Amino acid sequence: MIKITGLEKIYRTEEVETVALNKLSFEVKEGEFVAVMGPSGCGKSTLLNILGLLDDPDAGSFLFNGIEVAKFNERKRADLRKHNIGFVFQSFNLIDELTVFENVELPLIYTGVKTSERKKIVENVLDKMQIMHRRNHYPQQLSGGQQQRVAVARAVVNNPKLILADEPTGNLDSSNGNEVMQLLTDLNEQGTTIIMVTHSEHDARYSHRVIRMLDGQTVMENIMA
Amino acid sequence: MLLNYFKIAFRNLLKSKGFSVINITGLSIGMASAILIILWINHEVQYDQFHEKKDRIYEAWNRSTFSNKLQSWNTTPKILAKAMQQDLPEVEKTARVNWQDNYLLTVGEKSVAIDGNVVDSTFLDVFSFPLSKGNVATALQDPHSMVITEKLARNLFGDENPMGKIVKLNNSENFTVTGVAKDLPDNSRFKFEFLIPWAYQRTIGNDDENWGNNSTRTYVLLKQNASFDAAQQKMKGMRKKYDPSEPEGEMFLYPISRWRLYSSFENGVESGGLIEFVRIFCSIAFFILLIACINFMNLSTARSEKRAKEVGIRKVVGAQKGNLIAQFLGESVLIALIAGLLSLMIVQLSLPAFNNLTRKHLIVDYSSMSFWLAFLSFVILTGVIAGSYPAFYLSSFRPTSVLKGTFRKIRALVTPRKVLVVVQFSFAIILIMSTIVVRKQLKHAQDRQTGYEKDNLGYHFLTGDLEKNYLLVKQELLASGIASSVSKTSAPLTEGWSDSWGFEWAGKAPGDKTDFDRFCVDESLAKTAGLQLVKGRDFDLQQFPTDSLAILLNESAAKAMGFKDPIGQLIRDNGKEWHVVGVFRDFILHSPFYPTRPMVVEGAKGWFNVIHMKLNGNNGMAANLKNMEQIFKKYNPAYPFDFKFVDEEYANKFEDEKRIATLSGLFAALTIFISCLGLFGLATYMTSTRVKEIGVRKVLGASVGSITSLLSKDFIKLVAVSFVIAAPIAWYAMSKWLDDYPYRTALEWWLFAIAGLLALMIALVTVSFQAIKAAIANPVHSLRSE
Ligand SMILES: Nc1ncnc2c1ncn2[C@@H]1O[C@H](COP(=O)(O)OP(=O)(O)OP(=O)(O)O)[C@@H](O)[C@H]1O
Ligand SMILES: [Mg+2]
Repeated sequence: MIKITGLEKIYRTEEVETVALNKLSFEVKEGEFVAVMGPSGCGKSTLLNILGLLDDPDAGSFLFNGIEVAKFNERKRADLRKHNIGFVFQSFNLIDELTVFENVELPLIYTGVKTSERKKIVENVLDKMQIMHRRNHYPQQLSGGQQQRVAVARAVVNNPKLILADEPTGNLDSSNGNEVMQLLTDLNEQGTTIIMVTHSEHDARYSHRVIRMLDGQTVMENIMA
Repeated sequence: MLLNYFKIAFRNLLKSKGFSVINITGLSIGMASAILIILWINHEVQYDQFHEKKDRIYEAWNRSTFSNKLQSWNTTPKILAKAMQQDLPEVEKTARVNWQDNYLLTVGEKSVAIDGNVVDSTFLDVFSFPLSKGNVATALQDPHSMVITEKLARNLFGDENPMGKIVKLNNSENFTVTGVAKDLPDNSRFKFEFLIPWAYQRTIGNDDENWGNNSTRTYVLLKQNASFDAAQQKMKGMRKKYDPSEPEGEMFLYPISRWRLYSSFENGVESGGLIEFVRIFCSIAFFILLIACINFMNLSTARSEKRAKEVGIRKVVGAQKGNLIAQFLGESVLIALIAGLLSLMIVQLSLPAFNNLTRKHLIVDYSSMSFWLAFLSFVILTGVIAGSYPAFYLSSFRPTSVLKGTFRKIRALVTPRKVLVVVQFSFAIILIMSTIVVRKQLKHAQDRQTGYEKDNLGYHFLTGDLEKNYLLVKQELLASGIASSVSKTSAPLTEGWSDSWGFEWAGKAPGDKTDFDRFCVDESLAKTAGLQLVKGRDFDLQQFPTDSLAILLNESAAKAMGFKDPIGQLIRDNGKEWHVVGVFRDFILHSPFYPTRPMVVEGAKGWFNVIHMKLNGNNGMAANLKNMEQIFKKYNPAYPFDFKFVDEEYANKFEDEKRIATLSGLFAALTIFISCLGLFGLATYMTSTRVKEIGVRKVLGASVGSITSLLSKDFIKLVAVSFVIAAPIAWYAMSKWLDDYPYRTALEWWLFAIAGLLALMIALVTVSFQAIKAAIANPVHSLRSE
């Protein structure tokens, strides 16, 4: 599903030049659950942003379902993204002015799903995530775990083939964290490909495979038992 | 999707109330000003556009060279209409209209003095003044028929049917009402309350065929599909063909669409006119609106950090840039809609005052579909102007940086926000400067020596029997002690009604076409008006009966005629020989903004329209008026007593300039207010983002003063830059404006300095309010809030 070769990303500021990704290559197959690990600043988030088509690489190739997307413009990236990719962030990133329902509904709006249909889909997902009873609350009124469940709900509402999660449990206590990890595992079992950045070996154990990074390069890949 | 946008927009509005209040207030004031101006412009542009045959209606004009200048004017010989019908096959109808005049109409006991026109019977056919009673084709056929407006009908006859009723005109002849016209639209050059037919002119022998007597206006209706160019071509030679005294003169047809806005001619070609005002007002409306929109732009982008996260998330879940632009534009349109509805209320409330100022009767037609369509387009336009920059700015945020929190505002030297504040203040300063200059010019002209004594000086037109009974009236006014001096004159002292270059005197250079104002007085003009005689004496018919053929010159005239010793010189005019008995210091007859012109005052053998009197100031004005009215009623019972004070009439000469001063002052105040509203919002926001910095500085020992100046100085710099931009523009614009006034005040640098200081002070007060508030806050609180 994803095949990157020689991917490079360099951040240039006035004083310094940071090589965030240095000729990175790997492959992720459909249905896989991959964890990405590595010390802070090694380029994990950068990688995820590129995989999620939020950012473009400076060099290298990125095949998404066999299509070269490295040189896509913003418009095409957004198009591809909204139909195929869901995001989960460490800091939840819900819109404070929207209710739980409206936050989850958002991706459907941008893919042009009709109102009546949206309602059904969103309610269905909220039900699955067990936050249906909170549908009319605003994010500030929810606990961290609940917020992350809403974020996961929003990530999956479009039935994406790929979910990218950047330290999804980073702001959660262990029981809430486990709940979220269970959600992701369930999704994976239903066929969704998942790439997750994490600092936690515990969380990594939920995955099939761990890609370890250092200074923008993969140093090791190990298959989880 | 739209619903979602509006939902978010609404919640955002409620969430940041201060921001919303500032935006909506500013926008609604800006929109209200623009709507008022647009109403005015619309009124002017629609002038005389309601005539159904407007595409075929033309006015006959002359063009001829005088003192080396090609002049254009629209009074024509009465015979022209007939000549055009003969010579121009393109002409379907002609309609002559005599200058509007004030007549006395009497029905039974009731008399009213009211304006009417003498017109050809075709008038109602050419122009569209529909009759609610009577027949357009026949209403003005009979020489003694009369068409009155519904308003006048109510005034004269109340609820009775006016058709067939008798109205006495000028206390002499009876007319029969044969038609009732719907009340005239406000925006027409015709302002009559009644019409009487040209045929009546003929019966009283007032229908000459003299090509030299140019006193009427001639309108033509061309045939459908007739060639205007062909008609114009033939028109050109009419004067030459019929008027041997004017071989150089040309005539032309002038279309109705240009009458109101363009009919100012210079050297034979259109040189603007009202259209210039329309353009100026258009740009002022646009700028005030823009300034209100700029507030919105600035506050939206200043708050952008708050919206950045939302933009990032929306992009992550699939929003295209276009979706986001649409969303932000939707928000600004929503705000514009709220502001627009509010502005309609403001318009409704301020319309009476605005009408008073512009002397119009503008109304908003809420029942008209096209009004609401225009309003909606206006709202959307405003919303789009206001929202465009923030929409593009906000929607271009990159999700990767805003979500990670590395998003930081740029501290560039020149940010769009600063540029926008400079635009606002430049415009405000230009308007302040203009207001100051207009006021100074007004004061300059008002302070000018009139040349006569205005107090207790008044006049009355010689209506009805007054001319006949003049001597009796004069005697009684003097005997009763109401007046200390009485003179009859050809025109009011404040108006020049006659001028000529036909005077002849010894030593006149051949070809000298100096134009003199011509005025007539029976006697004691210097005494009545308080003129200063520099040579000779006033007219005095008692002592010098030959003074009926005497002449007074003003100093300019004495100089123009080149007299070393003017007294006793002979001057020929109108076939009479006049002798100079005195020279008086120039007084202002025409505009106080122009130099005085040479003026000739002829004695009792002249012609007379007005009685002037110097009232006895010891009596008290009310008593004087009451006693005067009794005398006038006694000798002229049919006509209303209508006394005018010279100082009031003189003050009217400043109406235009006063109106300009009021308007520019108003616009300046509005601009400053809206700009300061925006500045206040910006300052509030800026200080709120620097709360922690201020806290740290205070802990480290900074004084309130130093923090206030730290926070204010950026804004003050912007105002200073605006001043530098505004000053030369205002200087240029105002010297252009003053160029139109030969008698004008000087542009001085300190006027501009005052405007700059004023803007600076207003801005300082606005900004420092927030800055001081932040500076005196206890740092313990601000630091804990982190
Ligand atoms: N916008 C940027 N401008 C400049 N440098 C950047 C930018 N974003 C990331 N970097 C740099 O690129 C490198 C990789 O950053 P990235 O955020 O991918 O690390 P990370 O592995 O996700 O770290 P963490 O585990 O702390 O989240 C870092 O050195 C970071 O400083
Ligand atoms: Mg990271």
